[in-house]
Amino acid sequence: MSGTTVPLAIGRQRTSRVSTVRAFARRNPRMVIGGTLVVAWLLIAVLAPFIAPFDPIKVVPSDSLIPPGAKHWLGTDDLGRDVLSRVMWGSRVSLSVGVISVSIGLFVGVTIGLLSGYLGGTFDLIAMRGIDALLAFPALILAIAITSALGPQIQNAMIAIGIVAIPAYARLTRGQVLTVRARDFIVAARTIGASPLRIVIRHIFPNVVNALIVQATLSTAFAILAEAALSFLGLGPQPPYPSWGQDIAYSQRYLPNLKWWMSVGPGIAIFTAVFAFNFLGDALRDALDPRLRRSGT
Amino acid sequence: MITYILRRLLLMIPVALLVTVVVFALARLSPADPAVVIAGEQADPAVLAAIREELGLDKPLPVQYVAWLSHVVQGDLGRSFQTRQRVLEAITERLPATVELGAAAILISVTFALSIGILSAIKRNSVVDLLASSVTLMGVSFPSFFLGIVLILLFAYVIPGRIFPPGGYVPLVEDPFENLRRLVLPAATLATASLAVNLRQVRSSLLDVFGHEYMRTARAKGLRERTVIARHALKNALIPIVTLVGIQVGAIIEGAFITETIFSWPGIGRLAVQAIPSQDYPVVQGVVLVSAISFMLSTLFVDLLYAWLDPRISFESAAV
Repeated sequence: MSGTTVPLAIGRQRTSRVSTVRAFARRNPRMVIGGTLVVAWLLIAVLAPFIAPFDPIKVVPSDSLIPPGAKHWLGTDDLGRDVLSRVMWGSRVSLSVGVISVSIGLFVGVTIGLLSGYLGGTFDLIAMRGIDALLAFPALILAIAITSALGPQIQNAMIAIGIVAIPAYARLTRGQVLTVRARDFIVAARTIGASPLRIVIRHIFPNVVNALIVQATLSTAFAILAEAALSFLGLGPQPPYPSWGQDIAYSQRYLPNLKWWMSVGPGIAIFTAVFAFNFLGDALRDALDPRLRRSGT
Repeated sequence: MITYILRRLLLMIPVALLVTVVVFALARLSPADPAVVIAGEQADPAVLAAIREELGLDKPLPVQYVAWLSHVVQGDLGRSFQTRQRVLEAITERLPATVELGAAAILISVTFALSIGILSAIKRNSVVDLLASSVTLMGVSFPSFFLGIVLILLFAYVIPGRIFPPGGYVPLVEDPFENLRRLVLPAATLATASLAVNLRQVRSSLLDVFGHEYMRTARAKGLRERTVIARHALKNALIPIVTLVGIQVGAIIEGAFITETIFSWPGIGRLAVQAIPSQDYPVVQGVVLVSAISFMLSTLFVDLLYAWLDPRISFESAAV
């Protein structure tokens, strides 16, 4: 008897798990689409050395400017390099700049925001004026200015985009801290003698996490776009290393000859990667922020 | 109102000073020695020392900053290392091209955002609305330089007759028709990025207004739908929309760096981009400073306009 009930139970469990996943996907289509695309790009970036069909920097003069076909799905450039392989390898640059610069912005911004919000006073005044000064620059121009000062290298692009991201995190965290600070549980923690550091890390920070996750996802999209723009202007990784923005800039000279495929591959790559993070960020915002979830617009 | 404006201007001063500190520090962060950039790698050490002295680079950084700032407030942004032209002169020469491009982009963006946004708010959840939402989402994620290249490819090379040239600039006073012909593609490229944001703003502020009681009253007293939209909805929704134009200045300056580069448009963005490889930092510094100050002023202008348009905003509380 038990022999028949066990498989039935497993079957039911499987069905319920599948239906839970289906229900989740039906309720959050944007999160599923955005999340799948993000995971796909992350996998491509990690596995590029194994899945890229050709060496992205190897010059093959005999394969120069081949249009998309069976051998080269996205065609080749003037030096005979496979565009698909360059797009795959280029994702490593874009995503690593995205992740590292967002981490810089997140770490510095959250630290400033937590301290400003919790300590207040002179520290808050000085830190916030500094943040105002950074916000006075159009974001991309500040990134261009920092990278051009430090020199055109991928590490400098990461630092520049990270610095540009700091104000958003600092303001967001400070705002949340100010809202949470006066709440009863913080007063209670203070009354029982918890140290300021413990209050900030154990009680205040967890209340800011949701908003930070959303901001981090959205600013990864900005970081990928900004890295592409910097590379387009020659301020990212230097040739021959593949980078989406730089490859688009390079392809521009072949437009009069109608060699369109050189720019289409990296262009669509930037679009899908940025779209994925924006889509996922929007979906996360709706899911994690109940105030937005209720509003119809 | 005047007290409010004065207070806002006074509050702007410390931030503007910090902006100058950032711009100054950025130039000093550069590992390149300006004397070597000017005189070349092989120059005599005595010549290099003389140039450093002339530029004041032998003095302590705070002294250099004060000297630089005192020149900046008098409108002296230094000279280009490459051309020896005054930076302010180089910027003012190229500013009309950037302003023309920016104005055209704002015009295109606002016109499309208003017309499509109104339509998509009126016909909420219709095909038009769905299309507009998809365009919005795609527009935000579409890199402007890729769009520029696609437009060049289509209109300058694929479609016969070369409707629009792939780049270049002809001054408006010289040949207005040719000027407009060359303006279309860069302006459309620059407009697209902000169009997405504007469209979303127009739609959501109209939907917000639609929910108010006075809209029901206007319909209940038998007004035609067109009048209800134009006289009641749009007029009230216009407050956040008007601010869009001001907010766009930042996006336009940012976009100008990229768009001017793609279309060989001789504006200040291209001036800065061309100065970067030759480490001509007075030019980069000048353009970045002018961009930041214009952005700050436009933000201030938007705040003031917002306060003036919406009587519910208290000048006292807004100034804190």
